[in-house]
Order: sequence, then C-alpha cells, then structure tokens
Amino acid sequence: MDLGYLGAGIAIGLAALGTGLGIGMLAAKALEGISRQPSASGEIRTTMIIAIAFVEALCLYALVISLILVTK
Amino acid sequence: MGSYQASIENKMNIIEHLQPTKVFEINLLGVDASIYNSTLTAFLAIGLIVLFFSVVSRRARIIPSASQSLAEYGIEFIRSQMLEPLGKEGEKWLPFLLSLFCFILVSNLLGLIPGLLPPTSNINVTGTLAVLVFILVQGLGIKKQGLFGYFKNMIPAGVPVLLIPLLLPIEIIGQIARPFSLAVRLFANMFAGHAIILVLLSFIIMFKSFILLPLPLLGDVAISAFEVFIAFIQAFIFTYLTSSYIIGAIESEH
Repeated sequence: MDLGYLGAGIAIGLAALGTGLGIGMLAAKALEGISRQPSASGEIRTTMIIAIAFVEALCLYALVISLILVTK
Repeated sequence: MGSYQASIENKMNIIEHLQPTKVFEINLLGVDASIYNSTLTAFLAIGLIVLFFSVVSRRARIIPSASQSLAEYGIEFIRSQMLEPLGKEGEKWLPFLLSLFCFILVSNLLGLIPGLLPPTSNINVTGTLAVLVFILVQGLGIKKQGLFGYFKNMIPAGVPVLLIPLLLPIEIIGQIARPFSLAVRLFANMFAGHAIILVLLSFIIMFKSFILLPLPLLGDVAISAFEVFIAFIQAFIFTYLTSSYIIGAIESEH
C-alpha cells in the first residue's frame, strides 16, 4: 500500500479545513456589512467573490499536490 | 480489496480522461506542434468569438438588437469594473482585456459540453496566458517609470535604508509569484470542476444499481450548474487581476 494516497487525503483535507474557515469568515463579515448597509450590497458582493477566489486558490494548490501524489 | 483496487484504477482513468489526446501529429523541426483535442476547442472558442463580434459590429444600429446589447454589455462591463481608475488611458487596454475575458469565458463554457476538453483545464494554456500578462506588466512598468524608477517604486517611500535589501527581494519574489498564482488558479479551478463531474459519473459504475442511479446524476446536474458560475467568476478574476496589475504598472505613485 502506498503512503501517497494517505498523504493526498491528508493534504486535501487540511487544505479544505482552512479554506472552509476562511470562506466562512469572509461570508459572515460580508453578510454583516450588507445587513448594516443594504445599499452597498453590490459592491460588497463583488469584493467578497474576488476575495473568495483568492482563498479558494489555496485549496486548489493542495488539490494539485494531491493529484500529483495519487497519479505518481 | 478487489473492488478497492478497481476504484483506484477508476480514479487513475479519470485523470487520464482530462489529459488532451492527439488528433493529428505535426512535427515542426523537432518541436512537437501536434493538434490536440483541447487545441481544437481553443480554435472553436476563438472562431466563435470572432464570428460573434464581427457579425454584431457589422450590423450595429442605434437601437441595439439582442446580440448587440450583449456585446455592448460585455464591453461596458470591462470598462466600468476594471478600467475606471485609468480614465482616458484605459481605453487602450480595453481590446486586450476584452479578448482575454472572452477567450477564457468561452473556453470555460465550451468545456461543459460533453466531449469537448476546455483548453483552460491545461496548465500549458493558462501558463502561457499568465506569462504573457507578466511580460506585458513588467515591460509596461519599465517603459512608464524607467528601469531605475521601476525598482525604486517597488519600495514604499520613507523606508529606512537598512530595510531595503530585505524588502527588494520580497517584492521581486512577489512579482514572480503573480503569474504562477494566476495560472494555477485558473487551471486548478477548471481541472477540479471537471474531475468532480467525472468522479460523480464514475459512481454510477461503482454502485452498479439502478435505484441509486438518480443520486450521481442529480449531483452532476448541480455541479454542472455551479461550473457555469465558476466559468464566469474565473474569467472575471483573471481579467480583473490583469487589469489591476496594469493599473499598478501605469500609476507609479501608490
């Protein structure tokens, strides 16, 4: 049995944990902002989506690493 | 154990499915310039964009038709979202950003059609786009600010002299990391989306039951709908970051 599969699982799991926390915080703060000032919702949403894409990319790096580990 | 081994082989197949396959071989003086199936999708995307914009612009009217409104909305979207801070000078960058946006968006969307492999799910394509942006931004920065001024503007004003040897390498590494993150973000998003769709479809083979058949299919529909959203977001992000790099290179004082 290859340890690479285990490593791939751990890598993507930990990355997803961090990314989930990050996106959760982002969305919570954005919701707070929108409920305080509904007129700025459009701008807040755009900024939030851009920030989410940055956070999400970190998880995708881990995905690439685990794909390399699995296909090795 | 047997089924476990089979499922692992199944997963191997999924990644092989996402690799481009040769359609026909071209050897240009020892350099592999073969046409792959994702190359054909890229040509199709470019053809569709050129066809759409040439047809729309030929029949431009004051009262726009539906397709003309769509094209105008796209142009206005880039102009208002990305090029606002540049003002008059931004007009010069509109064609570049619009073609970048359209190419990424159309190839992402074409990838959702079964049988077509999107060129953006290949690291070579996204890497080429990112390196193109990198060379453009660096060249623009040096042209606008001069070679000395370009390096001078990397360091914020009022920093102690002793800190400069520390700050300059960090800033240079940051500049080099930009194309890497641009390329990997787009590639990994498109690759992961298609891998998830294929994994869900492979559940049908793994379950081997008609009762459970709707579950993977429904999941597939949901993921595909989400992929349409991702296609737009990723095209927007890539173009938005490019425009912010261009703005950063033009405006020397931060």
